[in-house]
Amino acid sequence: MLSRRRLLLAFVTSPLTLVGCRRHQRREPQVVDLFIESDGDFLAFHPDTLTCPSGARVRLTFHHGGKFLSARHNWVLVYPGQMDAVDKDVEHNEGIISKDDTRVIADTPMCDKGVTVMTQFTAPAPGDYPFFCSTPGHGECMNGILHVTRA
Amino acid sequence: MNDIRKTLAAFAVVGLTLSIAAPAFAQQLKSTEDVRTALRLLVQVSNDFKRQITNKNFARVPHEYMEYTEAADALRMSIKDEPADFKAKVETRLKAAVAAYQKVADMSGKETDVDKLLAEHAKAVTAMNSVFDLFPAALRPDPNLPPPGRGGRRG
Repeated sequence: MLSRRRLLLAFVTSPLTLVGCRRHQRREPQVVDLFIESDGDFLAFHPDTLTCPSGARVRLTFHHGGKFLSARHNWVLVYPGQMDAVDKDVEHNEGIISKDDTRVIADTPMCDKGVTVMTQFTAPAPGDYPFFCSTPGHGECMNGILHVTRA
Repeated sequence: MNDIRKTLAAFAVVGLTLSIAAPAFAQQLKSTEDVRTALRLLVQVSNDFKRQITNKNFARVPHEYMEYTEAADALRMSIKDEPADFKAKVETRLKAAVAAYQKVADMSGKETDVDKLLAEHAKAVTAMNSVFDLFPAALRPDPNLPPPGRGGRRG
């Protein structure tokens, strides 16, 4: 009798256990740390290409490597084909990116020479996404590509 | 005939001396990489001046002037250990170049004619080039090089 009860209990609980296990097995998004800096005081990113898998939680650190010039820099990631438009729109606003700009995927704050800043975002669908510095006049030279690969 | 030969020989000697002396001078500079960087920064900021004027972003031009003075300071720092007469020559021409860029910045506060501002900017570039003439060609930025980074690869 006892063993029948045990059998019944096992029959009822095993699917629940499987469901529970599956919940535990659900993979957390992969965390990817990326580092990029300005090429000293020059208007260039180093490196100028970055790569991460789609869906990853990206923690990007940007360092302003300048020593001499007071030019401020940031790192702005936008959807393909949007760089010129975003760059143009912030030209007369010291390059400050609006928080509700839907063309922008992620951006760091503007920073002075020697300063390091961070931003976090979820990597979008696979593709090539442009990034640039939105200080007026910088984007023309200071830009690069984030390659988002299949997860 | 002898005079012509002598003149040609003199030219050849001068040419040979210069071709040997220029690289030797480049080696004599104590911080060649710092000098190269400072000269590149001057060109970079000068190009930024032009870009802001072309884009009619006149409010940014005074900021570019400030950066130009910072690039000039970087050049001063890079030659701080050089002989006094060389530093004096550089300083004279550098001051003239900085003054020329200040004139562009001052003009941009009142003048909105892009062509007039670019003409003044061209004069400033000439003043900057006279600074570069004091340095070996190997250290001068190549004006034909594309801008640093991906320059122009827009997405």
